[in-house]
Amino acid sequence: MGLFDKLAGWLGLKKKEVNVLCLGLDNSGKTTIINQLKPSNAQAQDIVPTIGFSIEKFKTSSLSFTVFDMSGQGRYRNLWEHYYKEGQAIIFVIDSSDKLRMVVAKEELDTLLNHPDIKHRRIPILFFANKMDLRDALSSVKVSQLLCLENIKDKPWHICASNAVQGEGLQEGVDWLQGTDLSFYSRKTRCM
Amino acid sequence: MSSVPIEIKDSAVSSSKWLDAHYDPVANLYTFSSCITLADLHGDGENKLVVGDLGTGAGNMKLKVYRGTGLLSENTLLDLPTGLVSFLMDQHEPRTPAIAVASGPFIYIYKNLRPYFKFTLPTLEVNPLEQDVWNQARGDMIDPMTLKEMLEGIRDKAEIPLSVRSLRFLMLEPQEMESYVNLQKEQPIRRQTIITCIGTLKKNMADDDAVSCLVIGTESQDVYILDPEAFTILSKMSLPSVPTLMDVTGQFDVEFRIIVACRNGNIYILRRDSQKPKYCIELSSHPVGLIRMGKNVVVGCAQETMQSFTQKGKKLWTTYLPAPVTTMALLDLPTRGFQAILVALANCEVHVYRDKNVVSTIKTQDVVTSICFGRYGREDGTLIMTTKGGGLIIKILKRTAVFDDRDSISGPPIAQSIRLNVPKKTKLYVDQTMRERENAVAMHRAFQMDLSRLRLAAARAYVKALESSLTPMSASLTEPLKMNAVVQGLGPSFKLTLNIQNTAACRPVMNLAISFLYDENLYSMRTAFFKIPLLVPGLNYPIDTFVECLSDKGISDIIKVFVLREGKSTPLLTAHINMPISEGLALN
Ligand SMILES: Nc1nc2c(ncn2[C@@H]2O[C@H](COP(=O)(O)OP(=O)(O)OP(=O)(O)O)[C@@H](O)[C@H]2O)c(=O)[nH]1
Ligand SMILES: [Mg+2]
Repeated sequence: MGLFDKLAGWLGLKKKEVNVLCLGLDNSGKTTIINQLKPSNAQAQDIVPTIGFSIEKFKTSSLSFTVFDMSGQGRYRNLWEHYYKEGQAIIFVIDSSDKLRMVVAKEELDTLLNHPDIKHRRIPILFFANKMDLRDALSSVKVSQLLCLENIKDKPWHICASNAVQGEGLQEGVDWLQGTDLSFYSRKTRCM
Repeated sequence: MSSVPIEIKDSAVSSSKWLDAHYDPVANLYTFSSCITLADLHGDGENKLVVGDLGTGAGNMKLKVYRGTGLLSENTLLDLPTGLVSFLMDQHEPRTPAIAVASGPFIYIYKNLRPYFKFTLPTLEVNPLEQDVWNQARGDMIDPMTLKEMLEGIRDKAEIPLSVRSLRFLMLEPQEMESYVNLQKEQPIRRQTIITCIGTLKKNMADDDAVSCLVIGTESQDVYILDPEAFTILSKMSLPSVPTLMDVTGQFDVEFRIIVACRNGNIYILRRDSQKPKYCIELSSHPVGLIRMGKNVVVGCAQETMQSFTQKGKKLWTTYLPAPVTTMALLDLPTRGFQAILVALANCEVHVYRDKNVVSTIKTQDVVTSICFGRYGREDGTLIMTTKGGGLIIKILKRTAVFDDRDSISGPPIAQSIRLNVPKKTKLYVDQTMRERENAVAMHRAFQMDLSRLRLAAARAYVKALESSLTPMSASLTEPLKMNAVVQGLGPSFKLTLNIQNTAACRPVMNLAISFLYDENLYSMRTAFFKIPLLVPGLNYPIDTFVECLSDKGISDIIKVFVLREGKSTPLLTAHINMPISEGLALN
């Protein structure tokens, strides 16, 4: 950060920047969710499966988010961990209608939580139990049960049911994320 | 019954390579590996599970389609399915595969899960004699009893077997015959075979989404290849036995290979441009599963073994299994370049084999009767199993799972594959070798010379010893004596026992005496000279005497024993006794 930026920050001219990692299995709706959070004039019409990852930005009243929209495809999942250090918050998206792969989502979540770059940080995690509009979707309670979220004791977390296509449930999640003491984690402090 | 994934319960499972995605013990699926497949039926990138369900008892045969953990659709099947494959039959968009279900002499083709076409196997030649007999029956020239006798005669000798109609007639009770004949005699006789196995073969392109022909094996010991669109027979090949399991590779228009396991316990390999099998592998027991891995064939046999062969029939290895094989499948992960063999066993285990090594073992709740591995839904490494009791088990291979050949339970020990660190040949070694090669003759001579010298020296020493009677064996022919001495005690008093024996056949020895020679500063003996009584041949005479050690400095010496003949100064024999060190102190 240059001196000018710092000055702007102190004067409240510049919003606090937060890096967010958007993770979850392929087809869970990560890109769709982020697309909805962008200002309507910047939204993409067609959403295609992400290759590797893409970086998106959007702002709320108080924060400026930089989102790393990672691809959830099996062969790209090993990229995730390279961005753990930079992330100050995590959005984890689950396709609530994909019961078969709930174990896979749990496995990836457990791997994430046990990663040395994440394990000892009080990094906030926002879960979206997405695709709640589908007929055979599980409730967010059931999803959090299957993922054993109650075992996450040392990190603030929150789960919202969402429908990314219609944009339902997304604001609730972002509000929660803003409410957490993000600025605290934005200082690059680790091992608290 | 909830259809949500079961949670991982014990910690052993968490370290396993497989995630338990779904288990429904009452899925009501009764099927075999030949009737189960994964296909992108709707062209949405999400593979569905297609099962030809044999049902229980006589009815309930169904074509079932699963999506995720739930049943998507069900079609009733008219007969028991013997095989089920998915294949692309044309180039039309969207490119969704058709399903072919073989049952009896028919293949039912489903497109978009709706019945589309029914293929019937060509009828077989009817025995002319049988035809003749039925013609006579139709003209009422013979009564049912005569018909029966004549058909039985044909059945026993004929080259061409009887039709089902005649066989059924022969099973009837006499009172039922009349009406059966009246009912059947007007119909033409048809002899039909049934399908025993089914596979697919790419038509002329190797792509994953290329159009494929159907390949079918029949009870009439034939293999047919069908055109994918017109369902005409493109090729027919004959086998020496009934095919039961089949693997097909290649392209119909280019080059292909059909590996068929037959009911006679042999495996035949058919190729394009040959009506007859090209190679034959004779197994020692019946094949239960047949998998092709690259260029090799792996067969699970009824005698709890698994064997691998090249496609030319050369045996590569045999491995012994802990239980009988129920079914087998290929575990193919092209994205990771990994292939292995899944073997379901009757002891409720599924083993993953790489060559002959077990790399993973999966315990199941029931005996697995069908296995299928591949992309299901959006997950590439999905293992689908159905059980004897009608259950459905779905497991997903972990992304991070690695199959380590080394954690195998059986197979050769690791040490065998470790290369020994043999040091390089030194210059000295090489020089030595060169020298040996050049001077071999001279070296051999030198060695021989030295050996002769050594022998000579040894012989001289021996002769000298004999001449001076330094040995405990007497060399004199008149007094053949043998002696050995034993020292007992810790010291300072020792007991010395001399065992003297006359080794002559019958002559006794007389007039002998024994004398000792020792350092008088070190030892004292009560009697250092005594006479020996007459020695009867063969008997052992123990002679005891006592030695006192005078020194307490822990030193010892030799005591020499001489056996003497009265009137002669040279001893008959000599013995040197190595005295032990005195360990006790003399009592004063
Ligand atoms: N019905 C329904 N469909 C959704 C919802 N959210 C996303 N989708 C659909 O799910 C599909 C996948 O969405 P993506 O946003 O590309 O998923 P992704 O997580 O980014 O996938 P990768 O980039 O491959 O990791 C798209 O066809 C979306 O339209 C939802 O809430 N309801
Ligand atoms: Mg995406």
